[in-house]
Parts: sequence; structure tokens; C-alpha cells
Amino acid sequence: MSVERHHAQEENVGAYLLSALTEIETRAFEKHLEECPVCQDELDRLRPAVDALPRSVDPVSPPASLKTSLMATVNADAREARGEARSEARRHGMARRLRERISRLSGGLTDMRPGVAWMAASIVLLAGMVGGATGLYAISELTSGDKGARTVTASVDKTRVPQASGSFAVAGNSAQGGVLRVHGLPTLENDSVYQVWLRRDGEAISQSLFSVGEDGDGAAAVADDLKSADAVMVTRERAGGAKAPSEKPVLNVRL
Amino acid sequence: MSRETDIQNLADEEVMHLVQEGNPRAFELLYDRHGGPAFSLAYRMVGDRVTAEDISQEAFLSIWRSRARYQADRGSVRTWVLGIVHHRAIDALRHNLVHEKRRSSAEGIEERFEARETTPGEAARREEARSVRAALEDLPDEQTRVIELAYFGGFSHSQIADMLEMPIGTVKGRMRLGLDKLRRSLAGVAA
Repeated sequence: MSVERHHAQEENVGAYLLSALTEIETRAFEKHLEECPVCQDELDRLRPAVDALPRSVDPVSPPASLKTSLMATVNADAREARGEARSEARRHGMARRLRERISRLSGGLTDMRPGVAWMAASIVLLAGMVGGATGLYAISELTSGDKGARTVTASVDKTRVPQASGSFAVAGNSAQGGVLRVHGLPTLENDSVYQVWLRRDGEAISQSLFSVGEDGDGAAAVADDLKSADAVMVTRERAGGAKAPSEKPVLNVRL
Repeated sequence: MSRETDIQNLADEEVMHLVQEGNPRAFELLYDRHGGPAFSLAYRMVGDRVTAEDISQEAFLSIWRSRARYQADRGSVRTWVLGIVHHRAIDALRHNLVHEKRRSSAEGIEERFEARETTPGEAARREEARSVRAALEDLPDEQTRVIELAYFGGFSHSQIADMLEMPIGTVKGRMRLGLDKLRRSLAGVAA
């Protein structure tokens, strides 16, 4: 490392800690840090000052809806993970039983010619897989840990969002709402967001705002009780959201 | 002692360990402890409640979904959470052009939405805020200004140099000097 390069980067320590460097400068500084213990020490020395800055802010109460919406998504994620874990355990169990069946079968196949024995074992394996897959689906439906939970596929306006797809996971207790997941939605301009609505008795009730990543994937919570609601809809609105949908939904889930 | 009482008594790092195991109740406790400061920071930066709510929601969802990335040896849970919120807010500031409509009267906005001091925790946070703010305000004005514009305003050093009509090197120097003085001043304030 040259002295010149060190001097050039040394003055960036404060700006780096305050997130005031550009992305390119940040990458260059981080690369420099890897090989410069002097700058690393200086960074560690100044960091407590930056860590203290958020503590200078007076407390402002967040709205209760923030926690409700957040926990609806988190609980749905956790339920989904538990369901997947059970499915995974079931798959492992099925594979083990299949191996045992093949092992038992191979004992009875020792008198067969090798080619015939392999074909017979394959038929058993295939039959087991087909039967197992059906069972797996049924188990997944029955033991998702949330009796009554279901997933509904969204219909999409292909003229406006041709690559999009989506699904809505309804919690077992529909009073807990659900989670909408979307794929392939276009990213919006900076002054726009996607807004999720719940339609009940012909009225659209705003649920949440979301944006999608570069891959077009995103998720949003519907925290309200789904009872007597007939659809979850997504529209494109100006940043901050709208009081009522300003356009026909680009994505619609019929409940 | 009930299980619920048990979890309430856990230190942040222990709660975070449960969060990493995918425990939603532990995550809810994490939010209860840090959601207020997180929202306050986002609100201080962007100046409107809807955007602050979006930022907080995105930050906490990112914490939940990237929970495996938390490393206890890299600092406190509070610092980690607020760091994520800060980066999200900077992204929002730099991409959503909310600079113009906010911060024109940040103090006035805070007055309108200040939380009532209903709990000892909130009162303590408010007192802590006063102490840290006093240390910040004790710095020479030009140093306080560049630090606040960068940290709370989300402006880059070159934008600050343009705004204050000074060389970039001067801006960077004042940032570093200001942070150093603040660090020394805070050494007498509870960390």
C-alpha cells in the first residue's frame, strides 16, 4: 500500500462513517480498509460518535398499525417455514422408507439377473415416489400447522404487467389476514408505490404499501380481518399511497 | 416464572439468538424494544410519518429475513438495528426526492409528534437525547452542520460542499474533526 493512497483515503474515514461517500468511493474505501490497519483503527476510534447520533433524536411513537402489519408478515413467514420443515422431515422419512423397501427387495432379488433386478427395484422406487408425492401434498395441506390456511393465486392484468404473478397466503384464522407475494412486477418510478387494498362490501380499504426489488419480487401484509371481504387488490399509486384506488387493479386475488 | 416472563427478561443478544432460530415472539419483543427508536430515527430523517413507517417496516422485515447475518461481536443489537434503519432512510432520501418536502422545520414537526413521557423508558430516552444533542451542539457550528447534513439529511460530501460552498476536502475534514470531538465529549455521557 502506498503512502499516497493511504493519505488519499485517510480523509474519508469520517465521511464513510456518516454514509456520505458515493457508492464507488465506499467500495474503494472498504477495499483500502482491508489492507490498512491505521484507517481501521481510526474507524473504530470514531465509530462510537456515529453510533451515538441516533440517540440524539427525541422519541416519536410509531403507529400501532406498523407492528400489526409487521407481525402479520412475520407470523406468516414463520408458519410457512414450519410447514416447509415438516414437509422436509416428511421427505426425509419417505426417502428412508424407500431405501429400506429397496434394501428388503434387493434381498429377494439376489436370484435374479442384475438387469432384471435393477428394473424391478426401479419400478418399486417409481411407485413409491408417485405414492409418496401424493401423500406429501396431502400431508403438507393437512399439517401446515395452521388448519384452514390456504394459498390463492392472483389474476394479473397481462396488458399492463405482463411478467407478473402472485399469490395470497390466507392465515388459518382469517381474522389474522394474510400475506401477498408477487413476482415479476415492474419496478416503479421513485414517486410511485404499489398499494394493497382489501375489498369489502364494494369498498376498497388500504392495507399496505410496497415496492419490488430489481427481480420484481415483493411481499405485503393484509392485516385486516378477511371476513366478508371478497378480494385483495394491488394498484399503482403515488408515493405515500392514495385514499382510494386511482386505477383498475394490476393484480387481483378473489377470496 | 412463566415462559413469557422469562423471554421478557432476556438481554437483547439472547433475544436475538431466539430470533435467529425463527421465533416470532422473540422478534416481537425485539420490535417492542427497538421499534420506537427506529421509527424516531427514520422520522427525524425523512420528516413524514408514512415514509418513516415504510422505512421502519422494510428495515424490520429485512432484519427478520436476514436474521442469520447478525453477529453479536460486531456491536449491540440497538446499533445494528438503527444502522439498518439509517441505511434504508438514506436510500429513501437519495431515491425518493423527499429532501424538498422535509426538514424545513424539523423541530416543529418533532414538537407536533413527540411521544408523551408515559413510561420511565421514554423519559430516559428523552433525557439521553438531550445529552447527546447537547454534545453535538457544543461542536463548532460548521462541524455540527456537516455531520447533521450527512447523517440525518442523507447528503453526500459533494452535495454538502455545493450547499455550503466549500471545498470537498474541507467538508471531509470537518466531518472527521467533529466526530473526534463528539467522541471525546460523549466519553462523559453514558454510552
